[in-house]
Amino acid sequence: MTSIILAAFASALLARPLALRFAPHGGWIMALAPGGLFVALLMLGLGLPANGPLSETVEWVPALNVELTFRLDGFSWLFSLLITGIGTLVTIYAGAYFAEKSPEKGANFIALILLFMSAMLGTVLTDHLIVLYVFWELTSLVSFLLIGFDSYKASARKAALQSLIVTAGGGLALFAGILLIGLALDTYSLSEIATRGDELAASPLAPAILVLVLLGAFTKSAQVPFHFWLPGAMAAPTPASAYLHSATMVKLGVYLLARLDQPFSAMPAFGITLIVFGTATLIVGGVRALTQPGFKAILAHSTVGSLGLLVLLIGLEGDTAAIATIGFILGHALYKAALFFCAGTAIHATGRTEVTQMSGLATALPWTAAAAGLAAISMAGLPPMVAFIAKEYIFEAQLNAGTNWLVIALTVLGNAAFVMIALLASIGPFFRGRLAPLPLQHSEVAGMALGPVTLAGLSLLFGLAPALIAGPLIAPAASALVGAPVEVSFSLWHGFTPMLALSAVVVVLGIGLWLAWPSLLQRLQGGRLSHALGDAGYNFVFDGVLKIAKLSTRILQNGDQHRYGAIVLGATVVIVVAGLIAAAPPFALDTSLDGFRIGPAVILAFMVFGAVCAARLISLLGAVVAAGICGFGSALLFLLNGAPDLALTQFSVEVLVVVIMMALLLRLPVRRTLTRMRSERRMDALLSGAFAFLVFLALAAMTTMPLDLTLSDYYRATSYPEAFGRNVVNVILVDFRALDTMGEIAVIAFGAMTVWGLLRRRIRKTAGGAS
Amino acid sequence: MNSLILTAFARIFFAILIGVSIFILYRGHNQPGGGFVGGLMAAAGFAVLALAEGVAAARRALPFHPVTVMGIGLVMAIVSGVPGLFSDDSYLTHWWFHAGDFHTGTALIFDIGVYLVVMSGILALVLRFYEEEGEH
Repeated sequence: MTSIILAAFASALLARPLALRFAPHGGWIMALAPGGLFVALLMLGLGLPANGPLSETVEWVPALNVELTFRLDGFSWLFSLLITGIGTLVTIYAGAYFAEKSPEKGANFIALILLFMSAMLGTVLTDHLIVLYVFWELTSLVSFLLIGFDSYKASARKAALQSLIVTAGGGLALFAGILLIGLALDTYSLSEIATRGDELAASPLAPAILVLVLLGAFTKSAQVPFHFWLPGAMAAPTPASAYLHSATMVKLGVYLLARLDQPFSAMPAFGITLIVFGTATLIVGGVRALTQPGFKAILAHSTVGSLGLLVLLIGLEGDTAAIATIGFILGHALYKAALFFCAGTAIHATGRTEVTQMSGLATALPWTAAAAGLAAISMAGLPPMVAFIAKEYIFEAQLNAGTNWLVIALTVLGNAAFVMIALLASIGPFFRGRLAPLPLQHSEVAGMALGPVTLAGLSLLFGLAPALIAGPLIAPAASALVGAPVEVSFSLWHGFTPMLALSAVVVVLGIGLWLAWPSLLQRLQGGRLSHALGDAGYNFVFDGVLKIAKLSTRILQNGDQHRYGAIVLGATVVIVVAGLIAAAPPFALDTSLDGFRIGPAVILAFMVFGAVCAARLISLLGAVVAAGICGFGSALLFLLNGAPDLALTQFSVEVLVVVIMMALLLRLPVRRTLTRMRSERRMDALLSGAFAFLVFLALAAMTTMPLDLTLSDYYRATSYPEAFGRNVVNVILVDFRALDTMGEIAVIAFGAMTVWGLLRRRIRKTAGGAS
Repeated sequence: MNSLILTAFARIFFAILIGVSIFILYRGHNQPGGGFVGGLMAAAGFAVLALAEGVAAARRALPFHPVTVMGIGLVMAIVSGVPGLFSDDSYLTHWWFHAGDFHTGTALIFDIGVYLVVMSGILALVLRFYEEEGEH
């Protein structure tokens, strides 16, 4: 499996040059990569039931106990087949879709699609949660690039950013949840976690883990209230929508929830949360499809609904629910990707985006229309398609689990919305009315027809011959979810059951909704309902964050040097006072005059004089000299107290300060103007007085404490024998603590470089202004 | 600055300051001094030159751009730690060469790196502050 993932990433790296080399047929050539991987995975998986799950381990970050463990069981096999299989068709479709754009554009797109496919494969094949997280975030990143692919459009950029903020932000929550799982169980292995659900539920961290993991999964899978990013993601080129936002990426959240269903089911809140949010998402997706006429937008909302249904199913207990989940994942991927392909072809051909603007395309695009028709039958959950069987299982699972009647009623309503959307996506654009008089911009090409026809054909084939998938594919996947072997009897006809009755209600309701859709659309489009269910909440939060940032900048970064100084000094005073109050026992002051020396006292008196002058002098030049008195005074104090190194440095610094200050004074008036009001000056004096007093107190208190000389003695004793230097200060700087010094000179270098760069712009600007 | 005395002595001051700074850098391992102080003094030497003869003259006295010198210094400090990786498996464990009472080693290279960064860092600012409009 490692080799499969490596091969996938290698194909993504090579995609751009290769697709450019075979320019008009790049899609067909590059599709060989996912196609080959599909075959390899198919062969690998067919041996599964006998051998049990396959696994492989490669060391990655041994220090953090992170290894690349890959594991193939029935569930990850299903996902990896969907990823590579649909990936193959998407690559071919993309090649045709971008045929008349510049070759670079198509090549870039295919490279991104293959990179995305590799990340998806990594996510579903790994057994290690941290590795899963890395691949998970990679899918978010690539999705960002794909949604914003038409980067010249402001709407595409906004949608890309929105999806990144939501999914990557949720990813951070997921990461925190993963770390907590590791803390609770001391393992990151998914297969091991699956068997230790009781321990996990008993852990005090369980509530936090549940909330964080659900945040990650819900954002990725566009559950309410994070559903809004998915329709926005339709700004991506259609092949990306078909791949990422219907069939694969958005199902990652579902994948993770299904994987964790087994260990998490010991927590009572897990199932009920999934049912509540899943049902809400199902209904919101259905209702929002009533408010928008865009072809892709309608499909996107139905995807939101489908994801809600999947989450709801995972929340249910029992084997039937697992079979229903697997069946619906498969059926949905087949029909939804096909419908997106058809929508893309129709939009591409007509240059229009809304279903109401298209009619009678079946004559011009026969293959696409046929595929759309079959896929729509599948989406409506009618026989003889595979999705019909899946839908029967959905109702059976709900009835078996004794689900609340309200949830069943809402599920019926949500499925009715699917019927409506299926009719909207097929009848109107393809089969009703005559071909509009507008000239078609493109006709059907093989690359664009292959994908939808293949997928729709498979929907039909699996429905007619369910034995093809029931034993080899559905059963191992459901068993992997449940953790025990599951019997699957997939067949079209179950007899007259309650499920069949519910299906009939669904169809009748769906047709009713479809008939009412045009008038409902007129009433709801752009109205308050669509606004409230859209991204209004996101915009509110986003704008709020920006507003707070602006406000804090205005208060804290207002460009007034006095205020910066006041804030720093004030904060220091408050912190130190708080520290002094908290310190028990209260510190002692040494008031005796033992060891009083006249020399330092005189120097200190001079320094006080210098400080007062610096504050009082109107002449800036005088103030610089007066401040210099303070500096040279402290250098003398160092010298008197046996620190020649410090003294030497202080002298040099003082000289340079004078030199630099002089340079600045050359650009300033010689006499400063007093801009501070009397009250402000009083406040300044109070603040600096308080600061000085505190520093004095702290220093005085420090001298009464015993000095710990262990470290100094050690350095003194070892500096010559170990580092051959008698100057302990220098030996510490260049040898004992050389790494610290290196950090410091790096800071000096970067600081100097920054100031140097900033000043260059400033000087050029003023020079330009002067001339 | 138009001072005849300063202009006349600037070159001499410059030479003395640079010489002293290198001496201080070198003796730093055993007596007060070291790369940091040495770098400050060297910067002061260039500053004298800039004050007396202008920024252009100070720039000419340094064969490279101050920012380049800063980079060289940083690289020297970083590289000086590499030999330790091979002998002790520990970065910045210095190598030493002994000749009787005379010891020197990679620590000196490190200190020269400090010297160059401090000198040119300050120099970059001083030259920037003193330069006339239009220069860069």
